[in-house]
Amino acid sequence: MRPLLLPGIGVGLILLLAMAAPLLPLADPVTQDTVNRLAARLPGSPLGRDEFGRDVLSRLIWGAQASLQVAFAASAIACLVGVTLGLLGGWLRGVAEFAAVRFADVLLCFPPILLALLVVTLLGPGTGTLIFVLSILYLPNFIRVTYAEVLSARNQDYVQAVRALGAPTPRLLGLTLLPNIAGPLLVQFSLAVASAVILESGLSFLGLGVVPPTPSWGLMIRGARATMDVAPTLLLWPCLALSLTILLMNLLCDALRDALDPRAAAVQPRLRAIDRLLPGLAPPPQPALLEVRGLSVEIATPKGMVRPVEDLSFTVRAGATLAIVGESGSGKSLTATAIMGLLPPAARAAGAAWFEGRELLSLPEEQRRKLRGGPMAMVFQDPMSSLNPVHRVGDQVAEAILAHRPEVGAAAARAEAVALLRRVGIADPDRGARAYPHELSGGMKQRVMIAMALANTPRLLIADEPTTALDVTVQAAILDLLAKLRAEAGMGLVLITHSLGVVAEVADEVVVMYAAQIVESGRVAEVFARPLHPYTRALLAAVPDGEHEPEGIPGVVPRPDSWPPGCRFAPRCTFATEACNQAPPALEPALGRAVRCLRWRDLPA
Amino acid sequence: MLFVARRVAVSLILLWVIATIVFLSLHLVPGDPAELLLSTGGAAPDAALVEELREQLGLNRPLWDQYVAFLQGLARLDLGRSLVDEFPVAREIATRLPRTLELILAGTLIAVVIGIPAGNYAARHQGGAFDRIAGWVAALLQAVPVFVLGTLLVLLFAQTLRLMPAGGYVPFAQDPVRHLVLLALPAVAIAKGIAAIVFRMTRASVLDQMARDHVRTARAKGLAPHLVQRRHVLRNAMIPVTTVLGLQIGSLLGGTVLVEYVFNWPGLSTPLLRAVEGRDYPMVVGIVLTVSALFLLINLIMDLLYAVLDPRIARS
Repeated sequence: MRPLLLPGIGVGLILLLAMAAPLLPLADPVTQDTVNRLAARLPGSPLGRDEFGRDVLSRLIWGAQASLQVAFAASAIACLVGVTLGLLGGWLRGVAEFAAVRFADVLLCFPPILLALLVVTLLGPGTGTLIFVLSILYLPNFIRVTYAEVLSARNQDYVQAVRALGAPTPRLLGLTLLPNIAGPLLVQFSLAVASAVILESGLSFLGLGVVPPTPSWGLMIRGARATMDVAPTLLLWPCLALSLTILLMNLLCDALRDALDPRAAAVQPRLRAIDRLLPGLAPPPQPALLEVRGLSVEIATPKGMVRPVEDLSFTVRAGATLAIVGESGSGKSLTATAIMGLLPPAARAAGAAWFEGRELLSLPEEQRRKLRGGPMAMVFQDPMSSLNPVHRVGDQVAEAILAHRPEVGAAAARAEAVALLRRVGIADPDRGARAYPHELSGGMKQRVMIAMALANTPRLLIADEPTTALDVTVQAAILDLLAKLRAEAGMGLVLITHSLGVVAEVADEVVVMYAAQIVESGRVAEVFARPLHPYTRALLAAVPDGEHEPEGIPGVVPRPDSWPPGCRFAPRCTFATEACNQAPPALEPALGRAVRCLRWRDLPA
Repeated sequence: MLFVARRVAVSLILLWVIATIVFLSLHLVPGDPAELLLSTGGAAPDAALVEELREQLGLNRPLWDQYVAFLQGLARLDLGRSLVDEFPVAREIATRLPRTLELILAGTLIAVVIGIPAGNYAARHQGGAFDRIAGWVAALLQAVPVFVLGTLLVLLFAQTLRLMPAGGYVPFAQDPVRHLVLLALPAVAIAKGIAAIVFRMTRASVLDQMARDHVRTARAKGLAPHLVQRRHVLRNAMIPVTTVLGLQIGSLLGGTVLVEYVFNWPGLSTPLLRAVEGRDYPMVVGIVLTVSALFLLINLIMDLLYAVLDPRIARS
């Protein structure tokens, strides 16, 4: 949150000074004294005298009073009338709604100062005219804020409830709605006051606002312009006073908006950089396609360090499919982004991951970039948001080609993109290539994402829940496509999913993750035939197989900042004993696989 | 095309509504309009003069007739004659409008050239020294009213340093260099508000885009960082910047009135201010309508630009 205190005190002081003007021992701001015109400094006049010999300090303070009176009066009138119109419009709907909202829209079509000048022409300059025209100018904002709040509030439960109790409408409006819109209104009010001070001073500067000899900052700047060459400080004081007041008011507005209008505030926790752990491991003797050893991901949060991925190890062989399974929040996607080098700035990867013998985590960014989208590619979970909405999909695929093979040239890359789109099963690839993402269905978009990943014939493809965001009917088609392409191209596939049903269909090996850790890993056939970890069992029981009712797992994955002290699955586990809650179990070899459970031997087969 | 047609139609309707409000404004004020325009201070105006003004403004005719005549005049771009010197309002506007437009264009250009790269850089180095300093500069610029900045520029560059002329105007055809020198300070004064807004919006919107999934996709392609930034972050970030700029145009147009006054730039503001002081109603109405139409036109252009930037708008 922005500091509210400092600008608050500043604005408060200015207001106090302006209000106290009659009480302060100041010279009369309008008494002229031509003998001392433009005098630099006199006893009782620390800032000197102006072009008519009037005391500058006194005029500054009285000028603040004039400006602020106009600004507050206009804002208060605009607020009262605007809130009334907004309430009526939002509550009564129909004609009142149309009138209030359209009225606000039309008023916003006038450049503010011109509307003001039109009114001044008709009514003549003066404080009354100023207040009238400024209150009209700020009316639309209050109408809009109130109207929008009423619309959203009238559907909320408490308003419905009070209404059902038979409360009469005016009371309902006054007692239940107003307190809720007080915050946004206060923000609007402060914005209106700040803006009114600017407009009032501008109009006075043009000689069309406050009427002389009443002191006003705008008028003071207007007057001092003529004597700029002999008395430049005369110009500086009102400029400074005006700008400082507006600066403090703007800061106060920002702070108020952050504090009272949470939807408008953007909260961005600042994240610390974290030390990176040493990989500290020797490369494996026989380079596999992907060899992950002791991979962890750490994120610094305001509450401290969390490790949403912890000490992960697995191997992907060329041409094989490895599935990583687990519920949402188990750390699957972060594992994938860590391997690709696409972690968000706040997260750091530790451990080691070798791709064809090269250690990825210690590779310079420029070299990792050349691997990404080239030899190793990734398909993301949500095709709706993963394509850029403002570029044609063909161009986005061609861009992937050109990123790694610029020698292909733009025209050939586009042709290749069309061929890729045909390969992933887009019916009319020529037309499809010219489409924007929003013109394609979810399944089509995911096919485009896959085409993009295949653009440079990768040897490793990581697919992060590629079907989660899609319709059930499309899911099978996308999985079949991935399996087919993997077989055709002989590439290794890492498939991240929360569904064991998918794993059984396409994967050779499986890694089951729970709360950042591997709980079981091994060959798919063996794991399915005899799951050793209770979590794997629970996941299998949750797969609908047509014979048994699928069983859900009670509870949710704990958050990385609140892991249980012992086995992380123990609180949700039907087999857990007291020992499970004492100390975290280690990942141990069992029947040719690995399992992290104290009781795997005791479980019923 | 349908989108363009619809937006143009909406703009025309709004223009008609504005014209109607401006027309009615004279009659909505309580009291006799002619007397009102002639009254100065508390003294009652001369009856003969009032009658003459009534005749001149056609106030003796039924309201409906006046309205139809007003709209017919608008359709022919006939905005009536000045009450002061009988000069046709439309012709006065025609000579001065291009100068105001030039000022707005120059100011916007300066603002965009400074605001967008600065906002982009600040976002990419969020929390860094440049980001913090630029944030404060933008806050300061937003706090200094445009006429204060203009006056201070005159004080500094013309009065104290004697580097630049204090103001004035020379036609481009007559002396291009002098023309541009005279354009510089007022254009900078106009630019200050736009630059601060463009900077803040670009920064916020680049930060927002950098966290988007499609940017991760672009990086997953192995695209070079500068291309990711240009094609997938900045390109998309321009969409909200355009919207906000369009919303702010109204107050920026108002700013030109003040800037022209400060720098003696002979655009629309000189006759406008003279007319407001002299209660020259036809001239004020003509200029207010022209600037409002300009406002609508700029907003229309912004909307069309927005549709070009964001293909989702035009086709939905």
